[in-house]
Amino acid sequence: MSELKKADLLKAYRTMREIRDFEERVHKEFATGKIPGFVHLYAGEEAVATGVCMHLNDDDRITSTHRGHGHCIAKGVDSIGMMAEIYGKKTGSCCGKGGSMHIADLEKGMLGANGIVGAGGPLGCGAALAAKFKGKGGVAVVFFGDGASNQGTILESMNLANIWNLPVIFLAENNGYAESTGVKYNVPTPNIADRAAGFGMPGVTVDGNDFFAVYEAAGEAIKRAREGGGPTLLECKTNRFFGHFEGDAMTYKAPGEVKRQREECDCLKIFAAKVTSAGLVTAAELEAIDKEVAALIDEAVEKALAAPTPTEADLLTDVYVSY
Amino acid sequence: MLLDRVNESNTLLLLTNMKSMKHDNPAVGVLVNPASGRDVRRLVAKASVFQNTEKCNMVYRLLGALGVLGIGEVFMMPDVAGVACHIMHSLQYGRHGNPQKLPEVHFLEMPIEDGPVDTLRAIELMVNRGVGAIVVMGGDGTHRLVAKKCGDVPLVTLSTGTNNAFPEIREATVAGLAAGLVASGLVTAADVCQRSKVLRVDKNGAAEDIALVDVCVTSAGWIGSKALWHPESLRELFVAFAEADAVGLSSIAGLVRPVDRRSCYGLHLTLGPPGEGIMTVTAPIAPGLLAPVGITGMKEIKRGEIQTVAAAYGTIALDGEREIEFGGQDDIKVWLDVNGPLIVDISKTMEQAVRNHVFVKTEYDEHRRESAS
Repeated sequence: MSELKKADLLKAYRTMREIRDFEERVHKEFATGKIPGFVHLYAGEEAVATGVCMHLNDDDRITSTHRGHGHCIAKGVDSIGMMAEIYGKKTGSCCGKGGSMHIADLEKGMLGANGIVGAGGPLGCGAALAAKFKGKGGVAVVFFGDGASNQGTILESMNLANIWNLPVIFLAENNGYAESTGVKYNVPTPNIADRAAGFGMPGVTVDGNDFFAVYEAAGEAIKRAREGGGPTLLECKTNRFFGHFEGDAMTYKAPGEVKRQREECDCLKIFAAKVTSAGLVTAAELEAIDKEVAALIDEAVEKALAAPTPTEADLLTDVYVSY
Repeated sequence: MLLDRVNESNTLLLLTNMKSMKHDNPAVGVLVNPASGRDVRRLVAKASVFQNTEKCNMVYRLLGALGVLGIGEVFMMPDVAGVACHIMHSLQYGRHGNPQKLPEVHFLEMPIEDGPVDTLRAIELMVNRGVGAIVVMGGDGTHRLVAKKCGDVPLVTLSTGTNNAFPEIREATVAGLAAGLVASGLVTAADVCQRSKVLRVDKNGAAEDIALVDVCVTSAGWIGSKALWHPESLRELFVAFAEADAVGLSSIAGLVRPVDRRSCYGLHLTLGPPGEGIMTVTAPIAPGLLAPVGITGMKEIKRGEIQTVAAAYGTIALDGEREIEFGGQDDIKVWLDVNGPLIVDISKTMEQAVRNHVFVKTEYDEHRRESAS
């Protein structure tokens, strides 16, 4: 069922740990007032991006959301460049001009975080159409949230993708809240995946806190898309540990809700418990990764703080692509 | 036609004939799993999608049948997935499409955690309320949860899940009639109910869980997305019963050596790659997914006979879903218990109702009624 080797397990843990530490650190750094703009943190949802992107290569494309840091790291974007980008520095992934909500790395197949809710759907369909024309088995994954599941762009994209039988996976990250509105108040069906039937594609819901559940289901959906089977709607039910944006007091969440989620639904804890109790990975090996990642994030912040900001001369560069 | 006549007299005619058998204030429980039918088998096989709107429609059809039979109260599980809301709204505004008087529907007062614990809690409350029967709408997994808490309250099983071997695919109207007949005492439960078997799984000497149809030992390292669709991962299979026309893991046994639901034994199969062992069977292990599976050993298991799982590590799937992870230190035992839940045989119930003249009115019946009074 899960043919994951030890190296795969360590890679999965490292990716999830890197996302978690990156986000926890951005949370702290944002409080210093040195980060311009808004940040939306992905902590708590790491198993989703990791479980999906473990099946992708650099030729596969993903589109992301305003909460895109986790998708970037899972797709292989460099954390040092990302941190600099969030700080608005010239050494950033997009030369400091994009910020948190527009991090992109085309070489890694990361088409960009996106400040517009639901905007990834049409972009992902375009990438999937290109992959279909190329005929090399490439796929596109559209990450979107429960709030975006109600946007016309997403629903129209699902329609188009099924009409054209595109190799695209609609990956619904259902963290229970569209900004501050509970999902039960804005999605009329128990699962976002229920909507798949209306477009004639498979719809599957899995536990997004369980890396293995995501990995298995995403693997099947991606394999199906690569083989010409068409789109899938895969819903991962998960939790976000921080507010919609940094500064959000989360008054819409129940007292103790996040604390309970951190204790009982933390994908990193669940993963570590499973692989160590099965004797596949030792606690010492996981601790070594923890140290390595902590050092990486320290380095990312130090380099970001020391890097120069873009100058006036940079203002009009990188705006248009020259063909 | 029956409903027209019922409406004229506002009660089921023959209920009066059966007064001596009728239970006072009969109530029925209705358990709808709002989450059934969304697992990965929709992707890896061709499993059907069962919308909650249809589950609500089934409930309305059930309620109509229960109302006709004089069931006054129905207890249901609340949920946050929209089923309870849909039903409450429709009942409030009369949009349920039932021409006849319906039972009063009560949603149980209980915390909702949006998970399996809700089912366990709701069944406990229904049993405490003294319902005469419980209609279960869900898959094998839902019925497995219900079986843990229902005691001897008869179950009417309706399939709304993925690939179900335990519950029946039935028209809800008829299932509602069967539930009403049993709960009201218009037919005798002992005449129409069958006690089902249960496979009990013990881990390290303690009761861990149960299965109603099959227990499968797999080499999969994790519970993951729960379903099983890679035949090469299957190691051992225990079945309480196995029908030749089943879909799911029990079909592996059902296509080789069917085991009746009523028999007091089960089967234990050891599995291997196709082409190895004593035979290879091509079985529908999921809807639309026919796979060759090698059988390396097969034996009967008698009730109470303890079976030890041979595999050193893996997962245990209960009624088709991986639920238990185990490793080298764990001791897993499986045994067959013939004292499972009471299941209403819908066909037998309706036949009994015909013999009891429940649904017809004749001069003879009128005469009997007058004589009795």
